[in-house]
Amino acid sequence: MKTLVLMEHDGVALRSGSGEALGFARAVTEDVTALVLGEGIAAMTAEASKFAPVLAADNAALANSVADRWAHVIAEVARNHNAELVVATSTTWAKDIVGRAAGLLGGAMASDVIGHELEGGELRLRRPMFAGAITATITLKGSPQIITVRSSAYDTPAPAATPFAINAVSVDVDALPSGMELEGVDRRIDARPDVTEARIVVSGGRAFKGSEDYERLVGSLADRLGAATGSSRALVDAGITPNSLQVGQTGKIVAPDLYLALGISGAVQHLAGMKNSRVIAAINRDPDAPIFEFADFGLIGDVYEEVPRLIEQLKSSQ
Amino acid sequence: MSENISDVIIIGAGVAGLSTAMQLAKRGASVRVLEREQIGNGSTGRAAGLLGQLRGTSEHTRMLMDGVKIVKELEELADVEIYVQTGSVRVAETPERAREITDLVKIGRSIEFDIDHITIDELAERMPHMHTDDLIEACWCPTDGHLQPSELALAYHKVGKAHGVAYQTNCPVTGVLLDGDKVTGVQTSQGDFHAPIIVNAAGPWSYLVADLAGTTLPNAALGHVYLTTQPNPDHPVDRLSPGFRNRHHRIYGRPENGGLLVGIYGEDCPEYDMDTLPVDFDMSAMKARLDDIHLAMLIHSAQQRFPWINERTPMHVTTGIMTFTPDGRPFCGQLPGHEGLYHCTGFSGHGIVQSPVIGVIMSELILDGKSSYDIESIEADRYWEVPGFQDRVEIKERCYKMQGSYYGRVEGEISGTS
Amino acid sequence: MKILVPCKRVPDPDQKPRLNADGSNIDDVAVSFILNPFDAIAVEEALRIREVAHPDTEIVAVGICPVDGEAELRTALAMGADRALLVEHAGMSDPWNVARLLAAVVEREQPGLVLMGKQAVDDDSNQTGQFLAALLNWPQATFASQLEFFDGGLRVHRETDLGIEIIRVTLPAVVTADLRLNEPRYASLPSILKAKKKSIEHTTPAELGVALEPRVQLLSMEVVNSQRQCEQVSNAADLLARLREAEVIE
Repeated sequence: MKTLVLMEHDGVALRSGSGEALGFARAVTEDVTALVLGEGIAAMTAEASKFAPVLAADNAALANSVADRWAHVIAEVARNHNAELVVATSTTWAKDIVGRAAGLLGGAMASDVIGHELEGGELRLRRPMFAGAITATITLKGSPQIITVRSSAYDTPAPAATPFAINAVSVDVDALPSGMELEGVDRRIDARPDVTEARIVVSGGRAFKGSEDYERLVGSLADRLGAATGSSRALVDAGITPNSLQVGQTGKIVAPDLYLALGISGAVQHLAGMKNSRVIAAINRDPDAPIFEFADFGLIGDVYEEVPRLIEQLKSSQ
Repeated sequence: MSENISDVIIIGAGVAGLSTAMQLAKRGASVRVLEREQIGNGSTGRAAGLLGQLRGTSEHTRMLMDGVKIVKELEELADVEIYVQTGSVRVAETPERAREITDLVKIGRSIEFDIDHITIDELAERMPHMHTDDLIEACWCPTDGHLQPSELALAYHKVGKAHGVAYQTNCPVTGVLLDGDKVTGVQTSQGDFHAPIIVNAAGPWSYLVADLAGTTLPNAALGHVYLTTQPNPDHPVDRLSPGFRNRHHRIYGRPENGGLLVGIYGEDCPEYDMDTLPVDFDMSAMKARLDDIHLAMLIHSAQQRFPWINERTPMHVTTGIMTFTPDGRPFCGQLPGHEGLYHCTGFSGHGIVQSPVIGVIMSELILDGKSSYDIESIEADRYWEVPGFQDRVEIKERCYKMQGSYYGRVEGEISGTS
Repeated sequence: MKILVPCKRVPDPDQKPRLNADGSNIDDVAVSFILNPFDAIAVEEALRIREVAHPDTEIVAVGICPVDGEAELRTALAMGADRALLVEHAGMSDPWNVARLLAAVVEREQPGLVLMGKQAVDDDSNQTGQFLAALLNWPQATFASQLEFFDGGLRVHRETDLGIEIIRVTLPAVVTADLRLNEPRYASLPSILKAKKKSIEHTTPAELGVALEPRVQLLSMEVVNSQRQCEQVSNAADLLARLREAEVIE
């Protein structure tokens, strides 16, 4: 299967994760070509050429990854190249741009693939549905098949001993759409993220005896992890934390990648606010605390001892 | 207790089952609690927990007051805050409603319950977030407040565990085992469990459990909704601001997490056939549709008393399912035809506050054959073979009417429960 | 201006999905449906656009679902949409065909803006909006967290892995809504009652001139076991190691 792999970059270097798309492609076929778009992309194409022959669309008109222009070029290259498979790692960039390209190429697309099988020439893809509660197995009808893969599901292949060829792709600038412009990117290096947006939430409960302790332990740990802070009802009722930090049924409802429940017993109304978190880790002195029924990892211990240890360990590894 | 044999099996780990388990275990019984889903995650986890101790009868009032004493003990044992003593107010805007309040104050005084009239000015001072211009009567009960449902469940669970209660979650009961008319145990998704005594504390599912035993429990599952406003600096609600009841608009409420919780016992409410819901139905995941008409009614009613609340006010909406009976009183005890099967259900929106004493009552019935409380009005068999209370359609209709009448009746005896 | 808001009917995401007897698809017998939360956000944004600056805006909700699937379109009407159109189609519809049907509706309705959720919470594809923009050859602004009109088009804040990207697009355009764009309103009582009385126009793919061409074939589904098994760790270092393995911390 002639495969085109889109290599995402940030204007400076290839993004980690774009290698995984190559991993998927290699698992399916030998005939893999990388495609890099942008302006001044010599470093990126050189890097990509370690893994596969590269098609480079280097043009001022492609300086910013604007969906209508990029998708147009990607679709054209895929057609000219007779690609049967177009692959990228599933990121917001890929969803936006490769999604549109797929729309230009007939819409046979599967996003966020986490596994596959090749059954007698038929490519079967596994992808999550219902926020990951279901895994669906599908096949795509039509050609090319456009597939985005979850980076955690595949590995970047080993680089080749000698780099592959890099070929330039010409871009017909006049044919490019012009309805979209990039104004800028705000990388948002926030002080502390909002508890409903953060990838990690460090939450404190009844075990903390005052706002100083809370800030010193929960706050510092959160800062080490670039996380948001949260709290159980008990601390809010005691005036130790403000209402805005209460995670629970009538407070904030959060679903971060990691919820660290520190000294929180796990009352039902609190659980209602965080039980959709991807990973829940709990530290509590009471081995019978209900929170342990809902955690993936549990540490029985005093938060006043364990949290400083966590902070120390993170400090030394950072 | 051996592998799957115990003195008592309790079906349902809501406050009713947990309280009963704890009380039985304290008296030395071996107890196993079987919970369909997660502990306290049914009606218990959705409840508002308002405590209005004064009821239509002195016995009922005494039960609730005794319950507060038990709760205070639990707070010590489990190191958790359950009882929030905010006091409560009742407000009236029409002569008929004012008379209800006057009657209530008379009843309260006669049994030495702490209740008094207050002026509208005094009311306004206590409730700056409430619109009071149209009110003509109000009363104040300083010892009322609310019980925090999750924390109460946590305490029952913890103290129960300390006394040896075994809890099994994700364990729906699929059959009741009988030897003639004696119960001998239950079948579940995790195998059979045996006990000569079974307590049906399955809340909205309790009538299905009764069906498994081949008997009819005349209660019904009805939907309920309340909203909780997010903290608003223009309308601050103090953490200890009084709970309230405004029967004319069918609303009640209390402070919650910096905002105001307001619920409704509307003329209409959703009805649920629990057997059509999935076995692992997660009540805590219930959410109101954006165009839920009961919610819209609630908001409309809340707005009459709190004009700053409307459908655009930032708020949380909590929906859940309650277990109603035709007269609003629970079913506690056995039904004829089965030996050893005790029902403990049908709390009609007042499960949280009744649970502390209900646990005592159930343990007394089971271990002593009788209770130290006067339980005539809550006997499980009061509708046994009474025409009009046998068919599921009839039962649902009566329970539905009871819910609608909670704040509806004006003349005569005040509805004993609200 | 006319804003078209595609509204998908989805199984309530807060209840665990269950499969039918042969595991081939979701068991939709006991399912309760709701308006796709991201589409509700899109409806809300359209309402705000009208309220804040563009009082003459007509908001049209369009759904593609079985003939008895009007309830979710009524939700949009109750929130404040002016009209609703139901394209009758039973069974699965993949993003490609949905986009083609929407493109035909766009052809009919001639909106100045299509505002829709970034993805549906059942299949989580996050493709339909992009496909639609490609078919129409319109600019797209996906994962919008903020929208402003300016003379000439829209200025959109987009949520991306790298932070907030700000783009400008000319109109007409397709915008897909992300979670933080707004908080959808509850419908008021009068609005709900008014919406009950509105008639929803029905049409079919044939009437729209679209012959469906499936691109995705569903072979099977599997429920992912979500029961957490708590692993006890013995100390802080152990905990951090486990969390690193789970790829939730660096």
